[in-house]
Amino acid sequence: MNRLKQNFTGIGLVKLLIYGFFLLFLIIPLVSVFLVSFTNEPINVFGSLVSWEQMQISIDQFKNATIDNFKSIFSYGSYFKGLINSLKLSLIVSLWVLVICIPIAYGIARTKMPFKKTISALCTIPLVIPTFISAYAFIIMFGRAGWVTYIYEKLGGEGMLLDPYSMTGIAIVQIFFFFPYALWPMVAAFKISDVSLEEASRNMGSKGWLTFITVTFPLAIPGMLSTALVIFAVSFSDFGTPIILAPSDLNLIVVDAYREIAGFFNWGGAAILTVIMIAVAGVVYWLQNYLLKGKNYDTLSGKPKKIKLSENKALTIPLAIFSGFVVLIPILAMGTVFLQSIATTWGKDPLPSGYTLEHYRTIFTSSLGNIQNSLILAAGALILSVIIATFVSYFVVRQRSTTLDFMTTVPLIVPGIAFGIALIQTFNTAPLQLTGTAFILVIAYSIRRLPYMVRSTVGTMKAIKQDIEEAAVNLGATTLTAAITVIGPLMLPGIAAGSILVFVTVIKETSISILMAPAEWAPMSLAIFQNVMRAEYYSAAAMSVILVVMVLVLQALANKLSGGNKS
Amino acid sequence: MGSVVVEQLRKDFSGVTVLQNIDLDIKEGEFFALLGPSGCGKTTTMRCIAGFESPTSGTIKIGNKDVAKLAPNERNCGMVFQSYALFPHMNVFDNVAYSLNIKELRKANLFKKIGVYTRMLNSKIVKYPKEIEKKVMDILEYVELTDHAKKLTSELSGGQQQRVALARALVMEPEVLLMDEPLSNLDLKLRHTMRNTIRRIQQDMKITTIFVTHDQEEAMSMADRIAVMKDGEILQIGTPTDLYSNPKTSFIADFVGTSNILPGKVVASENGLTTVKVGNQQIQSVTKTSKEDVQVIIRPENINVLSEGTEDTSNAFEGVIQFATYLGSTVRYDVKVGEHQIVVDTTYESGDSIKKNGSTIKLGVSPERVLII
Ligand SMILES: Nc1ncnc2c1ncn2[C@@H]1O[C@H](COP(=O)(O)OP(=O)(O)O)[C@@H](O)[C@H]1O
Ligand SMILES: [Mg+2]
Repeated sequence: MNRLKQNFTGIGLVKLLIYGFFLLFLIIPLVSVFLVSFTNEPINVFGSLVSWEQMQISIDQFKNATIDNFKSIFSYGSYFKGLINSLKLSLIVSLWVLVICIPIAYGIARTKMPFKKTISALCTIPLVIPTFISAYAFIIMFGRAGWVTYIYEKLGGEGMLLDPYSMTGIAIVQIFFFFPYALWPMVAAFKISDVSLEEASRNMGSKGWLTFITVTFPLAIPGMLSTALVIFAVSFSDFGTPIILAPSDLNLIVVDAYREIAGFFNWGGAAILTVIMIAVAGVVYWLQNYLLKGKNYDTLSGKPKKIKLSENKALTIPLAIFSGFVVLIPILAMGTVFLQSIATTWGKDPLPSGYTLEHYRTIFTSSLGNIQNSLILAAGALILSVIIATFVSYFVVRQRSTTLDFMTTVPLIVPGIAFGIALIQTFNTAPLQLTGTAFILVIAYSIRRLPYMVRSTVGTMKAIKQDIEEAAVNLGATTLTAAITVIGPLMLPGIAAGSILVFVTVIKETSISILMAPAEWAPMSLAIFQNVMRAEYYSAAAMSVILVVMVLVLQALANKLSGGNKS
Repeated sequence: MGSVVVEQLRKDFSGVTVLQNIDLDIKEGEFFALLGPSGCGKTTTMRCIAGFESPTSGTIKIGNKDVAKLAPNERNCGMVFQSYALFPHMNVFDNVAYSLNIKELRKANLFKKIGVYTRMLNSKIVKYPKEIEKKVMDILEYVELTDHAKKLTSELSGGQQQRVALARALVMEPEVLLMDEPLSNLDLKLRHTMRNTIRRIQQDMKITTIFVTHDQEEAMSMADRIAVMKDGEILQIGTPTDLYSNPKTSFIADFVGTSNILPGKVVASENGLTTVKVGNQQIQSVTKTSKEDVQVIIRPENINVLSEGTEDTSNAFEGVIQFATYLGSTVRYDVKVGEHQIVVDTTYESGDSIKKNGSTIKLGVSPERVLII
């Protein structure tokens, strides 16, 4: 009785609301997209709950359900091609990322290569840039009128050095902009590889490079595999690059899914592709956890031994040159976007023919709305995720709610485009017609970015001792009042750091924006995308620069905040 | 202020019983100590009273009212936590005013509620009403913290933090004050001062107090009555002198003060005197017993050093001094008597000489001071 009473007051009610939120906007959409992949038509889940007739319709839909869609996937049609191409792309990208990261990581972890600090710092830049901007940058570099193509032709080449509108183009963009995800884990792996084993090997007369191949490298393999899986997942879920660069005859699963729903309103097709995307992402996530099980690199290092950093110039100089080249490409890409944004015109020449701030003025007069939309939407998502994450971390830490813990990892796995499709289908009709509203867009953003926020708030929540909360309750506060007046304020640092991260990633968000944003709420990312599609490159460039600057500033602020907490 | 009555309290944690048969009858205004070694269940008992644990069975009454149905925030028990559990983001004043804010929150309408919440989050924005201001300042004066009202709690010393915790619990005028090892984080000197402070406040306010400690000296010097606990059960309840002079078990005799506990066999029982054989020695006691195998308990200060040539009384024996410890007003001798090692306390006055290690000493104890368990 007492229990019951508590469940229906304050904090219990909040918990119910949060469960309801996840059920409504995460679980039901994912389940319903799975059902649609059989029925071929959207199912009105909420309508069935309020109206008997609708229920009848839904039941009939189930009676007509088929596994045709699943068959068609494996009948070597375009869906199958899309899946295979996507898997191929992700595999190529993750392998190449490993290959280019090994020397850089080794250089950073084990040598005193020149410009090590600078190179390390520059390696974080690619992560800040949304992929659709990187992809677009590659068009203006390597495209028919790009300056790289100009130089290439002057050097005697014919046509383009590489066609950005191709599988290779997509792969190259992803390799150069995703490699930092793999770099830092790999640096860590190289740092902890058993130094004493290596020394033993060297004492037995083994040469440096032989030691590397026979000892250091094999020891780092499990770490590298799981890193490769991270890249695989990132590449597989990436929407920004393929949507800009994929030619119409190249099937890729994310692009196909987008076209099915945005172009042809083919619910069944979009649903089956969504289910497959989620399945692949789920398997990759599971594999990754499986590989990492029992291997915590932080604790594995035990007593950190002093690694002797190599100063051999014959090794460090080539390493530095290689690393410099790798980080140079994203920087050149961004430089190109910047030049374009201040160019009067820029044809097939190494440099623009003149410079102007006109494009920025255009943006601040005619596209200010997009910036405003981005800020408002991001702020909305931020507020929603702050509230949810604060309570979720309370339930996860204090009441050991494994369900909520799981709920907040799901969005980490589901690719953005898949989640977007699930939401669109579920909220397509009355009584809960939310598709095309800013409301559902904000919800989509916040669920997608909730894991970051929760990770941050759970950390701070764990640092707050239980008896502080009990003291408040002992003094007469209800659990809810204690949460608002004591726990909440104590969690502020964690909330602040998490919020900036959410804000930044929402501004960068591509797939959800392009798929779900209504015209009157178009954020910057959608505006840039549309400009690129209409080949309005100058305003796209200016808008991109503004976006990247915003992201850089906020990111620096976040680093400062979280750095300030540690000291 | 209320009495606290606990009947047949039992608590299991996932099948393991950590408390059973707990009966307490704490009177209004009483200073009651729960004493026992670490892990014996003192904190759990207190948390059951405060409502943070729900008993597996048994009843708890505070002020004659069964509290089983009351949530912890409705019980009006002021609790002082071992870690103090002060709110680190609030200053001293806001900490102390917390419960008063909550009281206002309860009767406020929605509009006023927002005001109170705002004040609890930032007291610079919404001011405190006069009554709260006065109440808090009064209690702060009482614990001598008036000058520190606007400081953050992290800027205070341990003793000051302790007093904030006390003030914060007292200001809500609780039915009962619960203190869980409140002095264990203080250094020795401060601990002694705080003992006096807590005792003074308790007597001034006549507030029913339950005080948890594992330090027998603390319990003996502060409490009106003490419950000695071991392994989740209460062994004995009594006043400090009661426990000291009539321990029911050797565990209590040992735990409460220092005791010489010696195993023996009853050999005779006549004229109101029980004779026990301990080693080669016979000791007489006024305690009656029906057992044969017994334990003889003698407090160190009840053993007298007999000067040479005194006539042998029945309870006299000789021993060899192993070690002498000078303790200021007393000297403690570790003495070997037969195969047993005993402790003897003698008063020391300036000019007395301390006996040398290895010298023989003659000891005696009156049968009234010998306890048999
Ligand atoms: N939440 C709990 N879950 C399981 N066992 C507990 C819990 N709290 C206390 N205990 C156990 O109950 C016993 C008594 O603990 P406690 O009341 O804290 O002792 P004390 O305060 O006397 O040191 C200990 O053995 C402890 O391990
Ligand atoms: Mg305890």
